[in-house]
Amino acid sequence: MSTKAMLEIKNYSKTYGEGKKAVDDVSLTVESGDIYGFIGHNGAGKSTTIRAVVGVLDFTEGEILIDGHSVKDEEMECKRITAYIPDNPDLYENLTGIQYLNFIADVFDIDAAERETSIKKYADLFEITDSLGDMISSYSHGMKQKVAIISALIHKPRLLVLDEPFVGLDPKATFTLKEIMHEMCAQGTAIFFSTHVLDVAEKLCNKVAIIKHGRIIASGTMEELTEGHSLEETFMEADHEG
Amino acid sequence: MKDSIILLKTLLLSTSQHNIYKHSTDKKRRRRVIGNYVGLACLYLMLIGYSIAMCIGYGESGLIEAAPVMSAIVISTLAFLFTFFKTNGYLFNFKEYDMLMSLPFESRTVTGCKFLYMYIKSLPWYLSISLAMMIGYGIYAHPSPVVYPVWILLSFVLPVIPMLLASFLGFLIARVSSGFRKNNIIQTILTMAFIILCFSLRYIIEAVIRDDQVENTLQSVSEATENAGRVYLPVGWFAGAVRGPVVSDILLLTGVSLLLFVIVFRIVGNSYRSINSALKSHAAAKKYRMNGQKKHSVINAIAYKEFKRLTGSTTYMTNGAIGVILSALFGIVTLILGFDKIVDTVTRNAPFDHVILQPAIPFILYFFIGMLATTACSPSLEGKNYWIMQSLPIEKTTIYKGKMLFNMYLTVPFMVFGILCMGISAKVPVPELIMDLILGVVLCAFSTAWGCVCGIRHMRLDWENEIEVIKQGAAVSIYLLPNMFAVMGLVVLMVFLGMKMNHILLSGIMILIVAALAVASYLRALSLAGRM
Repeated sequence: MSTKAMLEIKNYSKTYGEGKKAVDDVSLTVESGDIYGFIGHNGAGKSTTIRAVVGVLDFTEGEILIDGHSVKDEEMECKRITAYIPDNPDLYENLTGIQYLNFIADVFDIDAAERETSIKKYADLFEITDSLGDMISSYSHGMKQKVAIISALIHKPRLLVLDEPFVGLDPKATFTLKEIMHEMCAQGTAIFFSTHVLDVAEKLCNKVAIIKHGRIIASGTMEELTEGHSLEETFMEADHEG
Repeated sequence: MKDSIILLKTLLLSTSQHNIYKHSTDKKRRRRVIGNYVGLACLYLMLIGYSIAMCIGYGESGLIEAAPVMSAIVISTLAFLFTFFKTNGYLFNFKEYDMLMSLPFESRTVTGCKFLYMYIKSLPWYLSISLAMMIGYGIYAHPSPVVYPVWILLSFVLPVIPMLLASFLGFLIARVSSGFRKNNIIQTILTMAFIILCFSLRYIIEAVIRDDQVENTLQSVSEATENAGRVYLPVGWFAGAVRGPVVSDILLLTGVSLLLFVIVFRIVGNSYRSINSALKSHAAAKKYRMNGQKKHSVINAIAYKEFKRLTGSTTYMTNGAIGVILSALFGIVTLILGFDKIVDTVTRNAPFDHVILQPAIPFILYFFIGMLATTACSPSLEGKNYWIMQSLPIEKTTIYKGKMLFNMYLTVPFMVFGILCMGISAKVPVPELIMDLILGVVLCAFSTAWGCVCGIRHMRLDWENEIEVIKQGAAVSIYLLPNMFAVMGLVVLMVFLGMKMNHILLSGIMILIVAALAVASYLRALSLAGRM
């Protein structure tokens, strides 16, 4: 399968008040078929980068391209092929699960038969079909996370961006999500996700970047980066040196 | 267009009480929905009754032709002020911002839909006033049948321009504030300053043009309202359209509303993401050093938490603290200009002895201070953080005592300050002043406890946007409207009784009545809290 750059972050920096840089000159490329892990401490700049990628956070320094389209100048083109799952999804609590999923399906113009098939497929996989008629406000954190994941998958994105996707998921749902990520990756979808769980990153990702204090301190393929060590050892070593 | 319909439909559905009733399996929640419907119906009826009464007043005094202008003025003023108070919470700083902005919606689609959502949600209030006044006008003026469809159609259009102006001002304030590190504080200060300016605008205009035009043009209510139509054109267009009906006025009102909508949301949409990015960014100083920790009592710790909740939100601050700030300003202005001058300005030099107003001073200040008790919305504002208090080893009653204590901390100093300023300026004798101070404090206690009763009884934790509980919640509406109408009545009653009764005796009676109501409300609040 031929690969192409689905996400290119070039010299991206984000400055907050008093000139303090939350992210400093970050560059990385995620190609189609990649599962790219983005790891770092709390407050290292992972979410600030991810929010800029998905067009939520404005930025002035650097460039972010999705499938060759600029996030700044071709916002709609980028968003139509991207799906984002935040770490703590704020869904419309007073909608039922199925009402929310239909809203997303409407936004992405998915026809009735297709949406029914894909919602059913993923809802069954995450064992949430029975609860889709209930209000989201009655859901547990994990169930909300599952609805957010399903909403991201039903429109078949070419770039999937996830911020701490495994937080709050039960072991079975975690396994299911990993399987889905592998399946999507095999079909050419690029996946970019942040995580604290190094074991998961090690088993799942083919590429990894480590961010510390807003700067990338190490990046590359898993083999290049770990050189036979565990990702945890590599991370601790990079963190110590960085 | 399709995107806008999808988004607007979802925004409405996500806050629809009907949707909650239909899909919730929680019986208590479903009962609360019915309670909300009943409460809202009562408030609509109150508003309709008030509007019809206003029309009857015009009709009986032979001024019924002023009714369309007055209807347009009331709706435009309410639409402007209510939107201005809500803009920050609806257009900016809303919690599902990340989710919406990551979807393929243009920024102007999101802002336009948020505005239309605000418009649709507040439309029933404006229609209640407008249609009630149309009925009153129909009864007294016997207009041609074509007036009714025109009036009904334009009732939908009339609030649009003031709402757009308020939204645009909110946008400008957000844009200016977003350039500062402490953007929340700047936004609050600018919003407050503008609200104060709005409240005093009438007097500023009068002060500027007093010598030539005002004395002449304000000779009659009819002329005054007509004058408003010339100052604020949409009011004139509305009046012209329904009285004529004049087609050009209909087209102007509709066309300008539409054009302004397109222009405003094109401008807002262009810098929407950068403003939200700045407002949602919290610069981390990371300079904290652990020292100087203090121990507080539980009740004071809760009160402090409430203080931080108030000051941490521009929406809450501008709605929750505007009354106390206005009361302080009113006190200072009275002290500087003199009580007599203020009374003359408000009553347009009506010939009466100003001493009769002295017993009403605490109620005049309570009109501002009692506008919104933080206790009415703070139980609902716990929202998703409700678990924190619930899981702590604190009696439920203590939590609400803490919330009430904070409202007392907030209101009593301003009430005392305001009464002292006005009392000194009005040369109220010391014994009467002391009685006024006691009455003022007791009024604060009543407002606090009654607000808490409303807040607990109509607590709503599942809100999408804090404005839903601060501005539109059943608790706040049920606290605010009867309280406001009762105070206006009480001011009149105090003036009337003040002419027949000794000031100290009158204040004493009022202190006893209000104190009894405050104690009853306090006990009710604790009883409700204990049952949670």
